[in-house]
Amino acid sequence: MFGALLVTEATTIDALLAVASDFSPRVELCAPASDGLREVLLDLSGLTRLFGDAETIASELWRTAADRGLDVRVALAGTRTAARLLVHQHAGVTVIAPGGEAAAIAPLPIELLGTVATAELPPPDVPTFRRWGLRTLGNLASLPGDEVAARLGQAGVAWQRVARGEDPRPLVPALPEERFEQALDLEWPIDGLEPLSFVLSRLMEPLGAHLARRNRSAAVLHVRLHLVTRAVHERTLQLPTPIRDARTLRTLALLDLESNPPPAAIDRVLVAADPTPARVLQFSLLTRALPPPEQLSTLMARLTALMGEGRCGSPVEVDSWQPGAFEMTPFAPAEPDAASEDAASVHAVQPAVALRRFREPVPVRVRVDEGKPSRVTTDRRGLGGGRVETCAGPWRTSGAWWASHGWDRDEWDVTLTDRATYRLFHARDTGHWFIEGIVD
Amino acid sequence: MANMANIARAALESALRDRKLDRTLTTAPWSPGDRDPSVLVPTDVAVLDTCLHGGFPRGQVSEIAGPSSSGRTALLLALVGAATRRGEIAAIVDTLDRLDIASTTVAGIDRTHLLWVRGQAIAGSLPGIERALDRALKAFTLVLQAGGFGVVALDVADVPAAALTRLPFTTWLRVQRMVEGSDTACVIVAPQPLARSADGLTLVLNSSTPPTPGWAGNSNRSRRLAGLDVAARVVSPRRRVDGEIVVRCTVEDVRRPGL
Repeated sequence: MFGALLVTEATTIDALLAVASDFSPRVELCAPASDGLREVLLDLSGLTRLFGDAETIASELWRTAADRGLDVRVALAGTRTAARLLVHQHAGVTVIAPGGEAAAIAPLPIELLGTVATAELPPPDVPTFRRWGLRTLGNLASLPGDEVAARLGQAGVAWQRVARGEDPRPLVPALPEERFEQALDLEWPIDGLEPLSFVLSRLMEPLGAHLARRNRSAAVLHVRLHLVTRAVHERTLQLPTPIRDARTLRTLALLDLESNPPPAAIDRVLVAADPTPARVLQFSLLTRALPPPEQLSTLMARLTALMGEGRCGSPVEVDSWQPGAFEMTPFAPAEPDAASEDAASVHAVQPAVALRRFREPVPVRVRVDEGKPSRVTTDRRGLGGGRVETCAGPWRTSGAWWASHGWDRDEWDVTLTDRATYRLFHARDTGHWFIEGIVD
Repeated sequence: MANMANIARAALESALRDRKLDRTLTTAPWSPGDRDPSVLVPTDVAVLDTCLHGGFPRGQVSEIAGPSSSGRTALLLALVGAATRRGEIAAIVDTLDRLDIASTTVAGIDRTHLLWVRGQAIAGSLPGIERALDRALKAFTLVLQAGGFGVVALDVADVPAAALTRLPFTTWLRVQRMVEGSDTACVIVAPQPLARSADGLTLVLNSSTPPTPGWAGNSNRSRRLAGLDVAARVVSPRRRVDGEIVVRCTVEDVRRPGL
């Protein structure tokens, strides 16, 4: 047996759902009607032992809603379609005994078909039905099925089934929003990351299992540490790819807490994950597989903890002519396609001269003869300096003169007597000379 | 008696080959044609790949050694560029933070497939450089342990010899054990040969001749740096040494479009 609840005034759907959920765990939320009224369907099978017969259940539903300030219509029938049609037609409480649905809805006007339209059914062609002289659902139900199919196709047959009170599909219960979180209250406060790692392991295992059961992965991991000082130390990890492996999640959380430790002892630990659909990977037989994202995430977290923030990743050039300008981006390689390997296999190149760049240019003393550097001297250990054998330049560049990081300089390529080739530049604003890098 | 010994030796070598245990120091060097190409990482530089009999070996520690301006970085970037163009991922552990991003562009590196680990740009002080080297070695081992990389390079080219010689020799043995059997070609870029695994190779640059920069232009005003002639020699007990080759590196400076 199914029930339909229609609220006759504009209200929040949550209140209606709360009433329905008090009676049945299987509740389907219907799409809002054109007039904004909301409707829910209930699967009431097996509830007669709890509440009594159908009339009692219906009156209980109506009374519970009224107690919560909701003006509702209630209809109970053997099919959901009949219950929906009846609740739109009759005010108050309507109960139809199982088997009597077709007879009960037969006198209803044919325009009611529009109220039970769903995504699976095309809109009913009511004007056509009216032109045929059909006024009630019973008129449509009594037509020969093959004749309806010949004129209206499968859509017509489907609407004829609705007019007979038959359900086009089973009830699809609405699932409550699921929370993926685990928490643990500690008997004794813990201080330090080593004992915390055991607690995190204990929490991440069920969290990972929960995610796996729902075929979900964590997109964002929240770690909330309730401290003895009543403060909450919260860390949020944006994971580069969806992850649900408990060991990986624990390692990432620990590495993050190593860099950002809590300021006091912890007496409650809560971990929560923002779920996202799990990844589906299709490996190629033709290209080498990249390491799994879990592995790369752990590696990046370890490297960041070791080398510091912003010192590991993929470099990208920035839109500037400033020498040496770049930005770091997270290392997230995409899976290669077979075409790239085929193209690369026939690609022969000539190596290009590289520059070994000093992030902080090395100040040097340069003797200039006839407008060209003739001798380079430096106090920097490891850089020889000496007489200039060959040089080329100057190449003048300038930019960002309106900002503090502007540059205005002349660049020179010089080979010294130690046979090393350097790139020098002369800062025109200060008159100082620097080594920018070594050609290698 | 000698015949019996030969038969026994042949049987032993055959048994080792069957069990794929013949890659030991006692076996004969590889001949150029018997190497599976999939165990090599080519550089896509024709003359160099010919000299290396296909490229740098995977699962081994190899070296590129040479003085300043000998073309060490150019060859390393050529190797990394070739690997990333084939869709592999590569890592460069840059001990003193010397990588130039514009140079990676002209080397054709797919930077989305490049993991760059930047060390500290320490200047001068030996204790500071030793700390940076220690940290870079830890990062290097982390990357090797993670696996999945086609090429992993450690750049210690500008680290003073005093800091490198203070490293315990077990450091390199540990690296060799980590790389062994993996699909990673491990390359160390250093001023002089440091460590190489049994089947790895050492590419020594400008060992007998000083680096030779190439200049174009006849007058002072038209002169420009046109390239670098890299004299490379393979040192490996397991590879046939073909003498010294010269690889011409060209200047492709994206910041000087007129050149």
